[in-house]
Amino acid sequence: MDIKNENFDFELVTDDPVSLTRDMGTGCDNDNAKSMSKWDIMLVRVGRERDKVAFAALFDYFAPRIKSFLLRLGTDMSLCEEIAQEAMIMVWRRAETYNPAQSGASTWIFTIARNKRIDRLRRENRPLPDLSDPAFAPEAVETGEKAIFRQQEEEKIRHALKNLPDEQAKMIFSAYYEEKSHREIADESGVPLGTVKSRIRLALNRLRAHLDEPEGIWKP
Amino acid sequence: MNEQASFNMQVLDALLLDYATGALSLPLEVLVETHLAMNEDSAKTMNMLMKLGGVLLEDSEPVSLSEGALENVLKAIEDDEESAALDTRRLDTNSGFLPRPISDYIPNADHASWRRIGLGLFECDVVFDGDQGRAKFYRIAPGTAVPSHTHSGTEVTLVLEGGFTDETGSYGPGDIAVQEEGCEHKPVADNDGECLVFAINQGDIRLTGPIGRVLNLLVN
Repeated sequence: MDIKNENFDFELVTDDPVSLTRDMGTGCDNDNAKSMSKWDIMLVRVGRERDKVAFAALFDYFAPRIKSFLLRLGTDMSLCEEIAQEAMIMVWRRAETYNPAQSGASTWIFTIARNKRIDRLRRENRPLPDLSDPAFAPEAVETGEKAIFRQQEEEKIRHALKNLPDEQAKMIFSAYYEEKSHREIADESGVPLGTVKSRIRLALNRLRAHLDEPEGIWKP
Repeated sequence: MNEQASFNMQVLDALLLDYATGALSLPLEVLVETHLAMNEDSAKTMNMLMKLGGVLLEDSEPVSLSEGALENVLKAIEDDEESAALDTRRLDTNSGFLPRPISDYIPNADHASWRRIGLGLFECDVVFDGDQGRAKFYRIAPGTAVPSHTHSGTEVTLVLEGGFTDETGSYGPGDIAVQEEGCEHKPVADNDGECLVFAINQGDIRLTGPIGRVLNLLVN
C-alpha cells in the first residue's frame, strides 16, 4: 500500500465521525462505537484490519506526544525519537491484542511507550506487562457497558487531576513528567519523605474517590 | 485506621506510582508486579494510574518527529510483515509480554542455594543484573520467630505464602510490609504453615537482640 497517496483521504476520514463508525469492524454496535474515542476506533482498525491509514493517523497524533513526554523525562533527544518510533512499531505489532473495553488508546499507548522506554534504558528483554493481562483488569463486565464506563473514567481522572490541590498535583507531575521516584521527589524538593508519601496517598485517594462514584449503567 | 496501617497504605501508593512511571529498580518492579497479580485493589489502582498516564500523554504538547519518521516506521512494519510470514510464532500475541511470574526466581526448597540462617529460617539470594539492592527469599517455619533486627536501608517485603506478624501488623499472601531504615522488628511466622517472603533491602541488616549481637560479630 502506498501510504502517501492516502494522506488526502485520511484527513477526511478522521474529521468525519460517521465514516469512522461505519464498517469499522469492532464487533460493537453503534452505541458502543460512539462511546469510543476516534483513536480507540483507529487502533481497533489497525488491530483487526491492519489498516495503515489508521496507523498513520495514530502515528501523527501519538508519536509527537510520546516524544514530548520522553523529553520531559530528560531523555536524550535522539533517544526520544528512537523510542517514539519503536513504541509506534510496537503499537502496530500489538494492536491485535488491544481491547477497547479495557483501556482507551491513549492509556494503551502510554503503557507501550513506558515499557519500551524501560526496555531501552535497561537494555534487557524482561517481559513487561500489558493492560490485557488479567492482573490489570480484575472485573469482567459486559464489553459495551465497560467501554462506556471506561471512557467516563478517563474524563473523571482528567477532571480530578485538575482539581487536585497544588501540592498534590505537583507530586503526580513530578512522578510522571520527571520520572522521579517518591524518594527522589523528597530528596530534590526538600519536602520530607513522609510528607511526599502522604501527599501521593491523598492525591490517589481523590482520584480513586472520583472513580468510585456510582454513575451511569456500570455496576461494580 | 491506625497510624501504622495508614503508613503502610502511603508506602504502597508511592510504590504503585513509582511502578506506573517506570521509576523502580528491577527487583522492586518484580516485587510490585507480583503484588499486583495477588491484590485486586492494587491492580485497580494500577489500572487508574495507567489511565492517568494516558491522560497526561494525550495532554502533552506534541513535539515533531524528524523528517521521514513515519516512513521509517512504515518500512519497519513492512519488513516485519515479511518476517512474520516466515515466523508463525509471532501470531501468538501474548507470548513474551506477560509479567514473568516470580516463581521463575524461586528455587525448590531442597535446592543448594537455600542457606539455613537460624532455627527454622532459610534464605536464598536472588540475583538480578547489576547491583540493585539485596533481594532475597526467606522461608520461615510455622510459628518461628525471626531474631530481632534493624535495617540500615528501607526493606520492602512481599508475602508470597503463609503470613507473619511483627510490631507493625499482620501480613498475609500478597501483602507488602515496609521497614523503614533503623526500625527494629521481630517477625513471627503464622502457626498454620511455612511463610515464604520476597524481601528487597537497600542496606545492611543488623541483628539487635542479645543473641543477634553475638551473631553480628560472627557475620562480620
